[in-house]
Amino acid sequence: MTVAIRAKARKRNAAGPGDGAGSSKAGASWASRDRLAAAGFLAPNLILYTIFIVIPIVLALALSFTSWNLVGAPQWIGLGNYREMIDDPAMPQAIETTMLFLLFGVIPTVILGLLLAMLVNVRFRFVGVVRTLYFVPAVVSFAASAILWQWIYRPGQGILDFLLAKVGINGPAWLSNTHTALISLDIISIWLSLPTAILLYLAALQRIPPQVIEAAMLDGAGAFSRLRNIIWPGVRNMTILVVIVTILAFTNSSFDLVNILTQGGPINVTTTLIYYIYYAAFNNVQLGYAAALSILQLALFAVILGLLAAARRFAR
Amino acid sequence: MIRLRARVRRTIRITAITIIGLILAFPLIYLVLGSVMTSAQLTSFPPQFIPTSFHLGNYSLAWDYMRGRSVLNSVIFTVATVGLQWALCISAGFALAKLRFRSSNKVTALLGVSLFVPIITTLVPTFIVTDKFHLVNTYPGLILPIVAQTGFGTLLFRQYITGLPTELVDAARVDGTSWLGILRRVIIPLATPATGAYVAISVLTAWNMYLWPLVVATTPNVQVMTETLAPLASSEYGSIPENVGFAATALTTLPMVVAFLLAQRAFVRGLAGSGVE
Repeated sequence: MTVAIRAKARKRNAAGPGDGAGSSKAGASWASRDRLAAAGFLAPNLILYTIFIVIPIVLALALSFTSWNLVGAPQWIGLGNYREMIDDPAMPQAIETTMLFLLFGVIPTVILGLLLAMLVNVRFRFVGVVRTLYFVPAVVSFAASAILWQWIYRPGQGILDFLLAKVGINGPAWLSNTHTALISLDIISIWLSLPTAILLYLAALQRIPPQVIEAAMLDGAGAFSRLRNIIWPGVRNMTILVVIVTILAFTNSSFDLVNILTQGGPINVTTTLIYYIYYAAFNNVQLGYAAALSILQLALFAVILGLLAAARRFAR
Repeated sequence: MIRLRARVRRTIRITAITIIGLILAFPLIYLVLGSVMTSAQLTSFPPQFIPTSFHLGNYSLAWDYMRGRSVLNSVIFTVATVGLQWALCISAGFALAKLRFRSSNKVTALLGVSLFVPIITTLVPTFIVTDKFHLVNTYPGLILPIVAQTGFGTLLFRQYITGLPTELVDAARVDGTSWLGILRRVIIPLATPATGAYVAISVLTAWNMYLWPLVVATTPNVQVMTETLAPLASSEYGSIPENVGFAATALTTLPMVVAFLLAQRAFVRGLAGSGVE
């Protein structure tokens, strides 16, 4: 307390007489100077944020009530785009594709992430080096992984079909077969997302004392019992975080990988909602309709994250 | 007897860990090996994995294909984006953490909103705003809208700096240090771990970014590497030999792999922190 008062006094002295007009209460002038500093630190950040984030969010909502093809001014059509959306058979299909893509991608990532984290949660001499092998795919871009995996998927010639042929299976044309295209994109995305899942789970597992697991083993608890009674309570909260992070990663890959590898095909089986929005905006130049779709995407996103947040609260 | 069984089990486990790790990293290992093969060896069937001869020339051909310019643009984009955004985030995070003013919580909430808005929602409007400033196909147009995504970074620094002892700030105030001086001489040095995690994850995101450059940078003078690389995955693969395509892919990927190996701690913390919103 004394320190603070002395500080104020010194500050007042240092400020000199010219500044003294409003400082009959020294505390007030100090606080106002704090506010000025805070404004200075925040202004550049908030100005850019407002121009390129806040305004576009508001603009997206406004555009969704208009019809616009970049020529001339946007025309107000009220709920026209939303009505068109309901009649558009491609819309529910895109949502279904997105949901399937998330389901077949996120669930394996979470399960494999936990299992692999449990596997590598052991100390040995080169554990750091070996764990690097698990983490390093995280730095690969969607573009680079697309090229790499397309090579692995090459029909008849690629490594995957080569390995399958060894066990007598004739591999499909992974990326151009309607049954396997979406799964093939999921596999790439799982490969890219696993490192973060493993990392997060490993952090949670390392908080469980090894003695607890050893004691359980001495008590004769089986692998399943250990998983249920010791591991799961320790990683339950982390699981929701892993799910959220993985959904965010898959949301990004549902554009990048689709645009680079399949362009929504074959016969639209990989047209995710994000890709459909991009297509409506930049190929069909229906900016109003694309905006309405993107509001739908935002709503879906909010529902999913809301449910997860509720689950998180429930889990505690 | 029990001890022997435990040792055998441990050996099996470590072997399994190593093999699975090699499988997971295999695509990357294959990328590096394939990038120095001859085209004939890379496309041979059954697939070959060990290069019979080394062709580093693939990389100079890849450089020519990427026109060098896109590599340079990726470097400019990454450095400018991360540098500017870091400055905005650490100063704002400091203000939110240690300076007292009325609307502090409101500002924090406003910045938090962006974490829950998918990029695609703001893609078209952000493009329109950028176009209104006549910044399409310019460096500022490519860089500034990404710099503006300050939500994650600001909240990260706010959280970290809140944890730093307030006495240090008070002591500096007593000495008459200005707020800017406190930021520079006290906060920034102490926040180095947070900066490390932030820089690692941000460099990675910027270097690998595809969607925004695809939309706003369509001319060769501003295109980044992900844009010149992506066409290799579609029909245009025929434009260059496969081994050169591998070298081009490696050229964009290896800098991040090396960065990861050198700063694994920062990357691990950054990747883990990317979820802790």
